[in-house]
Amino acid sequence: MMKKTDVIVIGSGFAGLISAITAAKNGKEVLLMSYGAGTLTIGGGIIDVLGYGDNGNPLAAPDAGLDLVDGAHPYKKVGSLAIAEAIAFFKQIAEEQGYPYVGTLNKMQWIPTATGTLKPTCLVPATMDPSSIAEAQDIMVVGFDYLKDFYPQLVAKNLDKILNLPNKISTAIVKLPFSEGRDVTNLDVARWLDNEEGRKEFIKQLKRAVKPGITIILPPVLGTMPDYTVLESLEKELKCSFVEAAGMPPSITGLRLQKMLISYAKKIGVTIIEKAAINRAIIENGKCIAVETKGLDRVRTYSAESYILATGGFYGGGLIAEPGRVVEPIFNLPVEAPDQQEKWSNEVLFSNQKQPFAQIGINVNSSMQPLNKEGEVVLKNVAVAGRNLSGYDYCFEKSGNGVALASAYCAAMSL
Amino acid sequence: MSKHLINPDLCTACTTCVVSCPVTEATRKFRGPKATGPALERMRLSQQDRDTSLEYCSNCKNCDISCPSGVPISTLNMLARAKQHKNTRRSIRDQILSHGEKMAKLSNVFPGAKLANIGMTFSKKLGLLDMVGIEGKAPLPPYASQTFLKQFKTIKQVSYPDKVVFFPGCFINYNDPQVGLDFVEVMQKNGYEVVVDEAFVCCGSPLVVGGFLDEAHDNAVKNCANIKKWIEKGYPVITCCTSCGLMLKQEYQELFHLPGTAENARNIYDVMEFLQNLHDNNSLNTNFGSTASIYLYHAPCHLRAQGFGLPALDILGLVPGLKVENVDAGCCGISGNYGFKADKYAISQKIGERLFKKIKESKVDTVISDCGTCRLQIAHGGNVRTAHPVTVLKAAYAKAGN
Amino acid sequence: MQKATVVIVGGGATGVGILRDLSMRGVDALLLEQRDLGYGASSRYHGLLHSGGRYAVKDPEAGKECIEENMILRKIGKHCVEVTEGLFVRTPKDDEAFEAKWVEACGKVGISAIPISVKEALNLEPNLSPNIKSVYRVPDAAIDGFRMLWQNVASARKYGGRVLTYTELIGIEQVNGQVVGVKVRNILTAESYIIGCDFVVSAAGSWVGEVAALAGIKVNVFPDRGTLVAFNHRITSRIVNRLRPASDGDIFVPHGSITILGTTSAEASRPDDTVPTADEIVKLIDIGECLFGNLRSYRILRAFTGTRPLYSADPNATGRGASRNFVILDHAKEGLKGFATIVGGKFTTYRLMAEKITNLVCSQLGFKTECRTAIEPIVEDPSPEIKAKARLYFPAYGADLAVSRLGSEKLEKVIQRIKDNPEKRQLLCECENVTLAEVEEAADDTTSYMLSDVRRKTRMGMGTCQGAFCTYRSVGAVDANGLSWGKDTNGLFREFLQARWAGIRPALWGNVIREMELTRGIYEGTLNINGAINDEEN
Repeated sequence: MMKKTDVIVIGSGFAGLISAITAAKNGKEVLLMSYGAGTLTIGGGIIDVLGYGDNGNPLAAPDAGLDLVDGAHPYKKVGSLAIAEAIAFFKQIAEEQGYPYVGTLNKMQWIPTATGTLKPTCLVPATMDPSSIAEAQDIMVVGFDYLKDFYPQLVAKNLDKILNLPNKISTAIVKLPFSEGRDVTNLDVARWLDNEEGRKEFIKQLKRAVKPGITIILPPVLGTMPDYTVLESLEKELKCSFVEAAGMPPSITGLRLQKMLISYAKKIGVTIIEKAAINRAIIENGKCIAVETKGLDRVRTYSAESYILATGGFYGGGLIAEPGRVVEPIFNLPVEAPDQQEKWSNEVLFSNQKQPFAQIGINVNSSMQPLNKEGEVVLKNVAVAGRNLSGYDYCFEKSGNGVALASAYCAAMSL
Repeated sequence: MSKHLINPDLCTACTTCVVSCPVTEATRKFRGPKATGPALERMRLSQQDRDTSLEYCSNCKNCDISCPSGVPISTLNMLARAKQHKNTRRSIRDQILSHGEKMAKLSNVFPGAKLANIGMTFSKKLGLLDMVGIEGKAPLPPYASQTFLKQFKTIKQVSYPDKVVFFPGCFINYNDPQVGLDFVEVMQKNGYEVVVDEAFVCCGSPLVVGGFLDEAHDNAVKNCANIKKWIEKGYPVITCCTSCGLMLKQEYQELFHLPGTAENARNIYDVMEFLQNLHDNNSLNTNFGSTASIYLYHAPCHLRAQGFGLPALDILGLVPGLKVENVDAGCCGISGNYGFKADKYAISQKIGERLFKKIKESKVDTVISDCGTCRLQIAHGGNVRTAHPVTVLKAAYAKAGN
Repeated sequence: MQKATVVIVGGGATGVGILRDLSMRGVDALLLEQRDLGYGASSRYHGLLHSGGRYAVKDPEAGKECIEENMILRKIGKHCVEVTEGLFVRTPKDDEAFEAKWVEACGKVGISAIPISVKEALNLEPNLSPNIKSVYRVPDAAIDGFRMLWQNVASARKYGGRVLTYTELIGIEQVNGQVVGVKVRNILTAESYIIGCDFVVSAAGSWVGEVAALAGIKVNVFPDRGTLVAFNHRITSRIVNRLRPASDGDIFVPHGSITILGTTSAEASRPDDTVPTADEIVKLIDIGECLFGNLRSYRILRAFTGTRPLYSADPNATGRGASRNFVILDHAKEGLKGFATIVGGKFTTYRLMAEKITNLVCSQLGFKTECRTAIEPIVEDPSPEIKAKARLYFPAYGADLAVSRLGSEKLEKVIQRIKDNPEKRQLLCECENVTLAEVEEAADDTTSYMLSDVRRKTRMGMGTCQGAFCTYRSVGAVDANGLSWGKDTNGLFREFLQARWAGIRPALWGNVIREMELTRGIYEGTLNINGAINDEEN
């Protein structure tokens, strides 16, 4: 048995990292059990808080909808005060790490996407700051010849319809020196721009096509490091504003955020154990006394005063779906799901309704403690954070990373 | 791991492994772990073809570590590589690099290690290595003048009722026996007698990456039988090489599905985890002498893939006055013999760049790492001395004078 | 007015078989399909080219037809048939007495059934349950339904055959008891018009009743639901049949990169009663576990349902009880000349069915040319040179697939696209290894009107991620190519992903729900496809 620590956080995605950081900032000794890299590098580094109401209508600002959410929604449990604290806490960390985020709870930011739609969000890195779009006279969408995950014409065409600017949105293609080798993703381009050579080439190709003062929308490729070196050098040379559009995986903005948070967590003393697949908890008298990992060799036992379960939803493995039922595999926490499979989802994939399956998860109280059907706390020293919570459909309402941030902060603060 | 689970089913095509793959970052010739692993596995099950890009996988396991779905990506790559090489004529280079044990045995017969090393120096100068496809600039390890097994016989151990079996592995036995000797001393300080079994053969790691899967299988059969024998006696088996440990505990199960490997794995330990367990049970001898040394620590990927954290940092932290910082700069690039290959050397050095830079900036003169080939690469690229954690511990015990 | 000598109704295997046969015999023929080719049962089945073993005991005649056609199709349809061979496996739950009967019946019909030891069988197919009792090797094969349809059409076109997809039959024009034309409607443009013709052949599968009704004639066809489950990879490299009287969940077919398990049998409410249910899937897996013990741990990709067109002169026959033989109904008997229906049968015998009814049509119209569909390959084998050339342009494990999907002519075109724009060699669909160039070529085809049409021609979006990654790329590519049907990009996204969703939804557990979380995360969470719906509605 490992020596006992204050807090064990299970899961190293966004919710896990925020839980661990919050707890460590509060002076706790934290062990972060990681299995896989979480979904930040898939989903992205922007913090959506709330973009649409239950009826599917867009909200004026993220905080305009926080009090209107259903009682089962995690935001209701966390409360708007703690949500604001969590946002401030996150912005503070980002600032300290030299990678500040832009945005506030009382202003909706509509950011462009790789399809040329706009998407409502709350906090974005400065590389995605959309404010220059509203003021722009001219917008150019820039793509890359070998990049198959970004189509500038598509973005320009659809944005033109929404924005109704005086000048038509133009497009340009930057040629990549990638005629050999594997298929190109945003990551390859971002790594190319990480290097000065790549940036020089990019600037050289765009210099003639770009008028100073315009806004350039491009895929999220402005470097892989959590800093603004690439953004600043391009803005300086081309004298225009850059806005990264939200797009396909792998997500470079998520990669930057992940790097920033892991490095911060380590800096403040969080111990991370990788490839630690926790598969069981040892429970005594309504409390968890230890958790066990099961690799291919032997069971290892880790013990703490309290535990934060941030294992993700169905995707992350925090919830396991079987025909007609859902299981939380570590603590076997109660999860309610319709027994008839057809009731798990709507017939139409994208509609004006939330998907029922997306809202399946663990019910918690205001301290993020797991509850049973009767509303009683199941385990006193366990808190739950992130995608495994019930009562929200992040895709529909655009609350991805927002619920994770708020619930993780709340879970760690209530220990 | 059950055989039927070595398939592409858990993959959602999410690209997380692509982000974490150090080879993908260093070269565009590699299609990346998702493509060569689970994606092409579906194709390999339904058609015949060759994928040259598969040769670029270094089996470093960062894909497996990062995968949110538990896909055995590197194992799929290694199995596919073996299949691709089956019935093909292999280059002398691949033969040499995968058969380090055989090569070492040959050079130890006559005229001895010294001459073999001289031979290697000449080969480098004459470009003979380059001719077969081994990079002359690479940090190829010289042979030790006496193998660990030979030197072990000359050690007079204090006999204790608690015994452990040491699996030295090729690198420690032939190239770096001092680590093995230091291990014996550290175990003696903790009241254990070390047993060595001469019947152990190469764990098979270099054979697997070279695509010589059948030979690796034969080695696995031999080692498993021997390990089982000791474990039934109640002796835990300990390695000081993270790649050997990973192979014995995990990869045997993923690749070969031999009966008894899972039971064996429960009793095979990396030395630092073993010491950490002693410490957690308050039975580690912590009578270390004080020192004012500052070290950087590099965590080998094959250690990170084992799922028990970085115990060396905890244990070294117990030495009074010793400062050790995790350099935390990713893969060193060597991946066993990957960085020795002429066509992979540049990639290997590029992967290690970030690590080398951090080492140079830190101005420390010694970097600690649990893996022998990582240490070679770090000494080469970072221009520093290196040490296995047991060597540092041995010195700390010596300083305490007990 | 458009004209054709013969109008064929129904773009399934039988319909395209008839189109090819008629065209090869010099008859001017036009095929109508209400949606895309293979919308009916010809793509909603397991993809098995029967050896006949399944029918040998109960219906030796059908068994005989199967083995004969099987041998013909392997020769003429090399690029859509994969000669996997098949196993008949008896599990501990199956009647031993039936095995003896079956062996005897196969012998009589002429189906080679070679007994092998269980050990040998497990060696061939390691995922089979070790407790199986006896195993026989039979000459089953796998056949790609979509490809078979398109290649038949391509062949027919060379002989002047024509195809109109997304064109619905809404009336049969007759003068004095003789067919003179058909009234049709383009379902995409809602435009309707008349096509003059001398003969109408209804090969509309489960819809033959509806088609005949347009002429006031009654045809007793009972659509019978059959649901199938597609698994993510090849669990078996041979077809595996359960050695027992034909029943549910009996057949596993390795189909390209995936495995298909089928099927169920239940009365369908309508010809397009094709939404699979979770109960059907669970039932199939429960049964399938007898053959593959670890079946539950394998990943489902999706499920799909087709309706078998079961015909009976007796209006009370149902399900597997009805004959699987085909019948030809010459409606001259009911007083309408120039109208015939072909119904029943199975994919394996489509060519024979086409031959028989084409004989009838030709004799009535006075054409004397012999049928050559049994000897002339459907598509020409691409030359070794072009195959070698393909290797230079397609990625590993991509060249052979592209060669057999595309055939010589289209292959040349795709290679040219890559030569002109080297970036188009990249994979648009990374799961099924489909290049950007091939998708663009397929999208450019005159019979493509939506992304699902392109999918059926290329297999894009049919692998592991079920469109999570390739939908964006294909919308982008269609838009960049300025295709007339690609203007509403938001509509393209929705059509494609909704079509995938239909097969995913009833199996929403395990890795299926995980993949769906990823897909929704991308398209709804990040790209806000939903938001665009709101914009339109607001």
